This record gives sequence, C-alpha cells and structure tokens, in this order.
Amino acid sequence: MTPNRSSRRQFLKLVGAGAGAAAAARLDAAPSYAQAAGPVKIGVLTIRAGVAAPVGAAGLRATEWWAERVNRAGGILGRPVQLVVEEESNPKDTVERYRKLVLQDKVEVVLGGISTGVTLALGPVAEDLGTPWLSWDGTTQKGVEETMPNPKWTFKSVDNEVEAIVAGILTPKYFKGVKTVAGIGNDYSYGHDCWESYQAVLKRFIPDVKFVLELFPKLGVTDFTSHIAAIQQSKADLLMCSFWSGDATIIMKQAAAVGLFKTMKGVFTTAGGVHDSLKKEFTPEGLLLGYNTMYFDDPKGSALLKQFSREYKTKYNEYPPYECDHAYFNAESYKVAVEKAAGPAKKWPEKTQVVKALEGLEIESLSGKRSWREDHVQMCNFFQGITTHKNVYDFATIDPIEVVSTKQAMKPAGSKLFEWINGWKV
Amino acid sequence: MQKIFNLACGSFYALGAYVGVSAVGWYVGAGGPPALFIVPLALAGLAVGVVGVVVERGLLRFVYDRDETFQLLMTFAIVLMMEDAIRLTWGTAPRSTAGLYLTYGQLRVFGATAPVYNLIVIAASLAIALGIGWLLTRTAFGRIIRATADNREMAEALGVDMRRVYAKVFTLGTALGTLGGALVIPATAAMSEMGVELIVEAFAVVVIGGLGSMRGAFVGALVVGLLRSIAISVYPELEMLLIYLIVIAVLVARPRGLFGGAAA
Repeated sequence: MTPNRSSRRQFLKLVGAGAGAAAAARLDAAPSYAQAAGPVKIGVLTIRAGVAAPVGAAGLRATEWWAERVNRAGGILGRPVQLVVEEESNPKDTVERYRKLVLQDKVEVVLGGISTGVTLALGPVAEDLGTPWLSWDGTTQKGVEETMPNPKWTFKSVDNEVEAIVAGILTPKYFKGVKTVAGIGNDYSYGHDCWESYQAVLKRFIPDVKFVLELFPKLGVTDFTSHIAAIQQSKADLLMCSFWSGDATIIMKQAAAVGLFKTMKGVFTTAGGVHDSLKKEFTPEGLLLGYNTMYFDDPKGSALLKQFSREYKTKYNEYPPYECDHAYFNAESYKVAVEKAAGPAKKWPEKTQVVKALEGLEIESLSGKRSWREDHVQMCNFFQGITTHKNVYDFATIDPIEVVSTKQAMKPAGSKLFEWINGWKV
Repeated sequence: MQKIFNLACGSFYALGAYVGVSAVGWYVGAGGPPALFIVPLALAGLAVGVVGVVVERGLLRFVYDRDETFQLLMTFAIVLMMEDAIRLTWGTAPRSTAGLYLTYGQLRVFGATAPVYNLIVIAASLAIALGIGWLLTRTAFGRIIRATADNREMAEALGVDMRRVYAKVFTLGTALGTLGGALVIPATAAMSEMGVELIVEAFAVVVIGGLGSMRGAFVGALVVGLLRSIAISVYPELEMLLIYLIVIAVLVARPRGLFGGAAA
C-alpha cells in the first residue's frame, strides 16, 4: 500500500510539476503563444444590400481570393487565414458589428468599409478598441476635409474626391473649347464633393468656364428622363457625371436614347465601377471614363492582375471592378506588415508593431504598387481614359489610358483641399 | 375594393422587372429577333402576375377583417421578403436588357427627340387604362367589383362569391404591377430596392388622386410625373419638395383626394 500511495503522491507531484512547468512556459511565451495558436481571424465588413451591394461583393470576392492564395501558400507566419464577414449597413449597426468583430470574435484586424457615411463613425470606434482597421473605400472625411489627421489604428481609403480631380485635370487635355458645363451626381456627400472639386480644378485650367446646371437626384433613382431633358436644354458643351452604381448605366442608356452625346461631351468620373454593364449599343466612344484605382484590361498590367481578372471572370462571369484592388491591397498589406514586424525570429507581432509596420509600407497590389502614407491614407494610381468600342467585349473600354498618381491628384497630408487646388501652378 | 393598403405593389413591380429581364435574356439567347423583344417581355410581365393569387389566398385573406395596422405590417413584410427573394434569385448587381431599348430608334416630336420605345409604353399604358375603365364600367364583372367596393356585405348577401372576386381582383392588380415593371425595364435597370422607391411615389399618386379611385390614380400619376419633370427643368431643388407640398395641401384641403368618393 505504502509504495502505491507514495508512487501515487510522486505521480501527482510529477503531474503538478509538469502542469506548473507548462503554465510557466505559457506565461513566458505570452501573449504571442496564446495568439499564435490557430488561424488568424480577420474581420471583413462589406455591403451586401442596396445600390452599393455589387461594390461590396467585389471587395469580398477579392478578399476571399487573397485568403485562398495565402492559405495555399501556408498562411501568415504559418497560421491559416480565417475570414469573419459582417455586414456594413447604417453607421449605428455597423459600429455594433465592428465591436462584435473585435470584442467577441477577437479578430487581429478588420478590413473593409465602403461608405464614408459609415466609416466616419467607425474611425473613433477603431481608435478606441485598439485593433488595426484598414478601410477599402471609406474615409474619415467630412465633406472634402479630414476629421482624423493623426489616427493610430485607422487606415483610410484614398480621399473621396480624387477621381473628380483627375477628371478635372484630364478634361482640358481631351476636350478642347469647353466653355459651359452641366453636372449631375447623387444627392449626398460624394456627389456634391465631386462636383465642387471638379469645378475648382476645371476653373484653374479654363478660367472662363461657366457651370450652367447642377442636378442631384437621390441615390436609387431609376428614371433620369427629366434630368436628361434639363441637361439638353442647358445646351452645355460638356456633362460631368459622378454616378458610380447602376444609375451610371441607366443614365448612359437614357442619354443615348435621346442622342445626348451626339452634341455634348461627357465625363463619367466613376462609372468604371460598373464597367461591364456599359454596353457598346448605348455607351458612345469619346467619353472620359474613370475606373478609379484599377483597370482590369490594362495592357501594361501585372501578371497578378491578369491572373486575377481571368479567375474572377471564370468564377463570376464578370470583369473585376476597382473595389477588388482596394480590398486586395488592404489584406495583402496587412500580411506584409505582420511578416515585416515579426522580424527574422518570425514571432507573431503585437498589434502596435503591425500598425508601425504599415505606415509608409509599399506593396504590389493588383493594380501595381500601392502604399500607405504616413498619416494612414492609401496612395495609388487612378485610371481614366477615352471610351472605345475597339475591343473583344460587348461593353466599352478605354484607350488611351491615363494613369494619374495620388501624389499629383490628392491633397497632401494636413492641407485644405480648395487652398491646395488654388495654389497649383498651371 | 379590398380596403387594403398594399405596400407590396412595389415588390410586384420589381418582380415584373426582374422576370422581364430574364425573359428577354432567354429570348435573345434563343435567337429571337430583337425587334419583337417586347412580346416575351410583356408576356413574362403578365404571367408572373399569378404570384398575386398566392399572396392573396396564402396571406392577405387572413388580415382583411383586422385593423389596417396588421395589413400594413403584413404587406410590408411581403416587401422585405420579396426584396430578399429577388436578391437570392438574381443577385445584387443591377440587371438590364443591354441595348434593346434603342431597337426601335427615335422620333422627333415637337423639336425633341423621344425614344420610340417610350412612346410604345405610353400607348400601352393608355390602352391598359382604357381597358380597365371598360372592364369596370361595361362588364358584369366590373359591376360586381364596384358593388363589392361599395358594400361588401350587401354584395355577399346577393350571392357574390367574395373569395373568388378578391382573388381575381388582387391577381389582376398584381399582373398590372408586374407588367408595369417589365415594360419599364428596357429603359432602365432592375435593382432590388426599386420596389421601395416606387411605393413612396405611388403613395403620393394615390393621396393626390384619391384612395380607391381609378380615375384619381390616373390623374394623380400625371400630376406627379409632370410636376417632377417641370421642377427638374425649372428649379431642380424643388423636385421632391413640390410633390409633397401638394400631397400635404391635398390632405389638408381635400383629404379624400381629387377623385376620392365619399366612402373611400
């Protein structure tokens, strides 16, 4: 009995020592041991309903494509990627879902955010919760001015008005003799900001230009017959339109039905977001069309872009729009930042280290090189050009392709937009 | 007639639009001549109206005798469900019939260019309005409908089978909604939330015209359509405001609407 008992005591002692040792080891290695176990949870916020749903779908598809590639190649520092997807809807509900991602799902990073109406509210929450948040398309701008110039955890998209500025720079290059301009955009911040910025830029290049009409139908309108009649009546030389969803296709079709662009030039700053619905039957050649930050058919595009476009087409029977590039860049830059912060020891970094590594980081995205400015704003190229029917598709594409960098077309950190534009030497 | 405020009419409109897009897609894919695309479009729009029977017999008949709040909640639930059903079936991206809208070319009317397709739709709308007018005033079925709208109990006492009348009338209304959605689609694109957009405008139309009045709906639609167009040309900021100012004026000065009957 005694040996038995003693052996049992010894056994318990051993177990205790072992457990203690294990616990000690865990304490030593904490928190990286605890974090590094299992998959890397990545929160994704995306719009799945309403007019912006196709944009949200594109961002999510690109993120999934990225995650599959990363996981096939062994994950991030050996940990597989696991996406936790939540819906972006109104600011209040989205903030709740953001909190859930960070506090309940315990994600390492949150990717996504499309509408600035929502992301403006997410910024302070992200700062408060202390987890990196990389926004696809949303900014923390109020109108055209920045509200969070020095964020710690928030990484924001390109300023909303950049594509209107790019279009304003390119308009005088392609359309000579424009004296009168009409504008149409959605009746919310983006539509108004684009119109204001476009006017400011155009006035720099054509000082005597007159803006003869501005129309702001609300988002979701599907009949622009009356608007087009008013645009015709204005007899403007050029129409500037910042529609970016299904309404871009609709206005193009309804404009073609009355031959609007037979007499008027057209600038569609953002319609490249729904590019494959701009069928040749109703999308004339000779319009200036913006594709935001990625042009799927860029002949100078990288092998990565070509592979992505091909696989996207095969899987979804569509050609990828720009939101894919925002989403891919966010996800890939997070991965590169983690690997950079991990250093040669390959130890899973703290979130603060990841944030430091992201600042100023430049990586290869679908559209080419993209980077994070020191103040956490995306730097990239914008693709715009003149519509053509000379392609293998049933929709219009652009040729020539103009590539304008945010270094040229985005206000520098800390500056005021209109002061900056008015200070240009032209 | 059914004394029900049906919010789901907008969903039927959206459903007609999506089914119309699919029917035309299938027709063009099967090699049908583009000039006749309006035939499958209209047929599909009418055919999907049978969903009205399902909604009326399956859901609405349970709330006829309840408070209006139940009816509003029920039909609003249908709106939300249909929006999701559309999203599941056709996806989230806008769907359109590509360039078929321009198949019939354009006409110069009073110095303005008008797509022939728009003129066809206007003619079809007038024909439908006249047809409905004829049905209501010149046929036995129309008399039964009017009698039922006037006094349900009396009509029932005189031997009218209320269930059949309700099912027929609701299905007819649904088919008009789905046909409308289908006919409008070549000029625009189908989006899952288009139904909700329409409800708001339809609300203004029926308030101005008078609830329960066909003639009122016709005039109300003309008033709203014309006012919007004029406002956009003259002073765009007033576009929506003007319509609701008139809605308020009608509600205050003539709560039954321009053509609303005493018992509406």
